[in-house]
Amino acid sequence: MRFRFAGIASLNVLIASAAAFGASPALKPFERGTWQGVIRGHAGRPVLVHFWGVTCGPCKVELPLLGQFAKDHPDIDVVTVSADLVPNLPAATQSMLDKAGLSSTENFIFNDGFVERLRFEIDPAWQGDIPRTMLISRDGTITTIEGSAEIADLEKWSAQQFSKH
Amino acid sequence: MIRTSLLALVALALALGTALAQMRAPPASEAACEEPTLRCATKVTPAFGPDGTLWLVWMAGGQISVASSQDTGRSFSPPTQVTTKRLNLDWGPDARPKIVVDRKGGIALAFSIFRDEAFNGQVLYTRSADGGKSFAELKPITANNESQRFEALALDQDGTVLAAWLDKRNRVSAKEAGRKYEGAALFFASSRDGGATYAEARLAHEGTCECCRLGLAFAAPGRPAVIFRNIFEGGVRDHAVMTFTAVSTPGEIRRVSNDDWQINACPHHGPSLTIGPNGTYHVAWYTNGKTRKGLFYAHSRDEGRTFSVPIALGRLDRSPTRPFVLSAPAGTVMVWKEFDGEKTSVQMTISRDDGQTWSPPKAIASTSDTSDHPLLVSNDKQTYLSWMTKADGYRLTAIEDQP
Repeated sequence: MRFRFAGIASLNVLIASAAAFGASPALKPFERGTWQGVIRGHAGRPVLVHFWGVTCGPCKVELPLLGQFAKDHPDIDVVTVSADLVPNLPAATQSMLDKAGLSSTENFIFNDGFVERLRFEIDPAWQGDIPRTMLISRDGTITTIEGSAEIADLEKWSAQQFSKH
Repeated sequence: MIRTSLLALVALALALGTALAQMRAPPASEAACEEPTLRCATKVTPAFGPDGTLWLVWMAGGQISVASSQDTGRSFSPPTQVTTKRLNLDWGPDARPKIVVDRKGGIALAFSIFRDEAFNGQVLYTRSADGGKSFAELKPITANNESQRFEALALDQDGTVLAAWLDKRNRVSAKEAGRKYEGAALFFASSRDGGATYAEARLAHEGTCECCRLGLAFAAPGRPAVIFRNIFEGGVRDHAVMTFTAVSTPGEIRRVSNDDWQINACPHHGPSLTIGPNGTYHVAWYTNGKTRKGLFYAHSRDEGRTFSVPIALGRLDRSPTRPFVLSAPAGTVMVWKEFDGEKTSVQMTISRDDGQTWSPPKAIASTSDTSDHPLLVSNDKQTYLSWMTKADGYRLTAIEDQP
């Protein structure tokens, strides 16, 4: 019985996920606890986490620049998180990521209606302004860039990551 | 055997799931459900009519609806659907339908939709002349087809309705001229027939932030005032107030405070303005500037020319957000949200000396899931918190007298 219910539960999760993300299977749902998973999953590596949204004007300008940065720096783990408040636009999100050359990075989309809680887990001081970039060094030090990042600053941070070792 | 019974159960689960899906929104949604009913609403805006009737306009299930209450929110009339089909309503964090009810009981509404895949907006308006039983066909507030969002409505003493919004029409000419265009522009239009038709849209100010709500109120008859997040020199997105010299004549812009928030981003977090009967401007806002961070309050006793030193609101470790301020006969009240990691609470403070001093903040409501911005609405006797929550539905809570 346990096996049976576990099977149904898994199937339901699959069905729910397929319904929510059917148009873009590459997008991962960003839910409660995902942030800690991202931190753990990339521990020891330099990570750039970029928060953005499809309706955000400055994000549209920055995203292709970030795509180029990711291409130029394969040794930096680039993670994007679509942090619009109503996460019901996976197709638009994926389309913008594709156009920006970010199809193959690790891409998330907010998938919890309680966004205050999601944001609080990431940074209690974050009120939802986007774009926002968090640079996580190998030693876990987080540097937050509010608003559009200057690519020169990202280059500088990237160089620092590899000059230490 | 196991496989067969598993499939049967799966089929049953699927059938149940389909039935449930028709009623409930997915867990990722901000809405409790997907019907156009009040219970499923994500944004609810209140207004009292001249006879004491409480009116609500809300967005739910892609539709805009209106209902009224004769018993301050305990029960509501059957809703009137304003939209005739599901629309791509502007779901930006600071977007919400707007409502004003005039002395004759006419109801003017405005709201935004996303009109294309690039999320360009369009402000639509309508009016009811029969006490909310029916609404006129929706019309765009301006013929311009570039992008408008974050409309605000306010009612003058003579029944004139003023609409203001953020408009990106001038980016076209900027682009053609090879100039960089930042943000948006503040546009406005007035209606002399209670919101049935609006005059041609006019520019009030170029270079505003493009993704924050406006605050709009009348300082005196014929003298609207608007607060907005401006883009000051160097890309600093601090707040400004403009008091019109007449309904159709924009005035100078005045800086509310020098927070020095230089950011090229969408803060999604606009200000609030109310003007007391003696003309005091009370403003509340969010900033993350170099000078100060968090929620702040200030007042002006000279029509926005100068403001008092900003007072911080709320606990910074509890992520204070969404301030709203309202001046009413019983006092000036402010509310905002705080989040403790699990629950969101609405904090309230009241001033009985025109903003000079404020009572200690007090939690007056809380919820364990997502929620709309807390709003205040007042009739002649009482001020109420108007708050839509996903878990607990819509609440209208009387602001109790403080010692």
